[in-house]
Amino acid sequence: MSVNEVEHPVWRRPLLEGEDLAEQAEHLKRRHLLLDPKFPWEMNDDALKPMYRTSPSFWVIVVALSGLVMMGAITWFRQIYWGLGITGLNRPIYWGLFLVNTVYFIGIGHAGTFISAALRVLKIEWRRPISRAAETITLFGLTAAGLSILMHLGRVWKFYWLLPYPNQRQLWPNFHSPLMWDFMAILTYLTGSTLFIYLGLLPDLAMARDHTVGWRYRLYSILSLGWRGTEKEWAYHKTALDIFSYVIIPVMFSVHTIVSWDFAMSIQPGWNSTIFGPYFIVGALFSGVAAVIIVMAIIRKSMRLEYFLRHEHFDGMAKFLLILSFTWAYFYFSDYIVPWYNGEPVMKVVFDVLRRGWAAPLWYLMLFCNLLLPVATLWSRRVRSNTAALVMVCIYIQIGMYLERYFIVPVFLGYNELPFSWGTYIPRAGVLLTIASFAMIILLYMLFSRVVPLIPVWEILEGQIFQGLKRIGRALLPARSEPH
Amino acid sequence: MANRSILGLFHEATSTADTIDRLRDLGVAEEAITVMSGVPYTPEILGRRPVYERLLPIALLGAVGGFLAALFLTVVTPHLYPIEVGGQPLIPGPPTIIIVFEFTMLGTLLATFGGLLAEIAFPAVGRQDYDHRITEGHIGVLAVVDEALADQVEGALKELGAHHLKIDEAHHVPGPRPWRRLAFVGAFAVVPTVIGLLFAYSVLVIPLPNQMVNQPSIAFDQGPRLAAPAEAVPIQGPVLIDGLPASAPVPATADSLQRGSILFSINCAMCHGQDGGGRGNLSGYFNPPPADLTSERVQGLTDQQIFLVLTQGRGLMPSVAENLLPVERWDVVNHVRTLR
Repeated sequence: MSVNEVEHPVWRRPLLEGEDLAEQAEHLKRRHLLLDPKFPWEMNDDALKPMYRTSPSFWVIVVALSGLVMMGAITWFRQIYWGLGITGLNRPIYWGLFLVNTVYFIGIGHAGTFISAALRVLKIEWRRPISRAAETITLFGLTAAGLSILMHLGRVWKFYWLLPYPNQRQLWPNFHSPLMWDFMAILTYLTGSTLFIYLGLLPDLAMARDHTVGWRYRLYSILSLGWRGTEKEWAYHKTALDIFSYVIIPVMFSVHTIVSWDFAMSIQPGWNSTIFGPYFIVGALFSGVAAVIIVMAIIRKSMRLEYFLRHEHFDGMAKFLLILSFTWAYFYFSDYIVPWYNGEPVMKVVFDVLRRGWAAPLWYLMLFCNLLLPVATLWSRRVRSNTAALVMVCIYIQIGMYLERYFIVPVFLGYNELPFSWGTYIPRAGVLLTIASFAMIILLYMLFSRVVPLIPVWEILEGQIFQGLKRIGRALLPARSEPH
Repeated sequence: MANRSILGLFHEATSTADTIDRLRDLGVAEEAITVMSGVPYTPEILGRRPVYERLLPIALLGAVGGFLAALFLTVVTPHLYPIEVGGQPLIPGPPTIIIVFEFTMLGTLLATFGGLLAEIAFPAVGRQDYDHRITEGHIGVLAVVDEALADQVEGALKELGAHHLKIDEAHHVPGPRPWRRLAFVGAFAVVPTVIGLLFAYSVLVIPLPNQMVNQPSIAFDQGPRLAAPAEAVPIQGPVLIDGLPASAPVPATADSLQRGSILFSINCAMCHGQDGGGRGNLSGYFNPPPADLTSERVQGLTDQQIFLVLTQGRGLMPSVAENLLPVERWDVVNHVRTLR
């Protein structure tokens, strides 16, 4: 590099005197990213290099996933042509896998915003390197959730009837309908998260623009909008991010609450519950945080981001996951015990199906995945510090949370107040579209990771500048100072 | 006349702050100095005046805008075409709160983002005074000064540790003028909307083939319905349709007429018009146009014949049997009789 390293006092602080303290400093440096500063140009390279690295196996996976997405597209066209009947939906189970997917995908979309907005508001420092990787899950999770709703429409070409404009009969959509709440909430959340991730990206896009050539240079030049990092730009940027953080948190809560209200507003036994809003939010955060951990582990390995994603980040997320597991169990139990004690006949049947009926194996698997396994393992630092073990736990949580949504949607729906119209649901074409939806999210994420720097370099540099070591007695401790 | 732009790169914040002090002493105006960095250094760190930014009021304005839009959609639009349903309020409170909340938030977010772009004049086009090393951790100090001051400023920057200097003719980059920017953004918003509306209002139609109608299903009230032979005499009394129970006319009481009027405006008026004159909002889409219900021909029919048209449809007019119970159809018949 063009600059002599010694000339650059900010990035290389002198080591503390005394062997003992130096050792402590070294130890802290290994543990905390923000105490282990690198030269900005090195960090730029570390963040940009993985974007160029596309091994043959990367392309093999891309082709395979594209194939699955194509299969999904064909299935969808078939479904549009022949009608929703081919998905196995029938009276009384009108909501099947598509709605399970919608709830699931909106759920995993919650962690991204939570990590970047709520942890930003609370000034929790370990959020810095993972915020964008998490927000990207939100972006694509919501995209998939929106698509799942469209798949659920029989006449999907009429989707625009949801938009607020008067139709030919001069009728406006009924804004008091839960469908409209849903649409507006998801629209607001998707718009907000997209702009939020873009705002955070601006300085990094400028960084990428300054260090790339060819089509990437042109792309980043356009996307960075001419960012130079002037004081005015930074001041506005900070305020905008603050406003977004504070506004998007209540929006995040509203989205999954409203999704839960789609169920709870009905008189369907098992759905008509006042606790559904917070219960769904906790479930969403639970599966979302687990999804973020899985993604973090994958990108850390495949994009060689070991410098950025360290034990402290996995540890923080895993502890959060443990708390969420308890909270989820608390809500699940609350939602279970009230109808159980109430003893409504149809709910007795439903609970029997779960406890010892055809759904029992899956139900116990769900309890194992969501409660027993996380609680039994995540308290241990050895599990939390072992990425492979942690990822396994998180995959089980994904299975558990998917099952939980599956019980809520097509299983509960099969048992209504009129026993003559009970039914079961066999998901048919929906399975292919579910696989395709998952493939689409992974594919989009993979392609995105090669175009956009997933590591927020400016946020890490900011943290490294304002964080330092403080000596108290014989110990060195991390000290954080941040300009207001 | 400021005509030289001098950009110096520094390693860290202290020397940058010293340099800014020195430039100020030399008589360089505060506005003529710009600091650029890859990391958000605050004005306090650099010893500069705090940036006066007004994003919060803009965001609040957006919140108010979203709030008002929500009120329009939830409170005003139901009154434009009131449909009373089963004694429920036209404007229910709690659902309105949800929509108002979402729109208010959406307005805030959009205004914040739009305000950011507008206030820092993004997207910036054209040449800018900049150095790519700024995103490598260097802090750039840009001074736009007179020819006379240029040498002094250059000297000061060098003396205080600027390791790179970039001196250039000051090129005034005005950026696109506000109205052009507005026109640009407007075009971006309007063109897709117009194209969308062309489809939404069926001006452009893409015929999508599908087999849904051929799915095995049973329609409401489906039964074999034979058309009456040409020489059939108009029936009196209860209407008898093959396969359906007999249906007797309902006397045209005030209640019946009121019900008929409401049902007419929901089910019929969009084609036949509120006055029955055949000039409803949708009349232009049909050839032949919807019948003029006030005409001699229609009013000359018996009640039972009108009932049959309602039940079975006629020409392009679909059956309304799915929407209206037989009793309700008689109410509509009574209403049609008042359209003379």
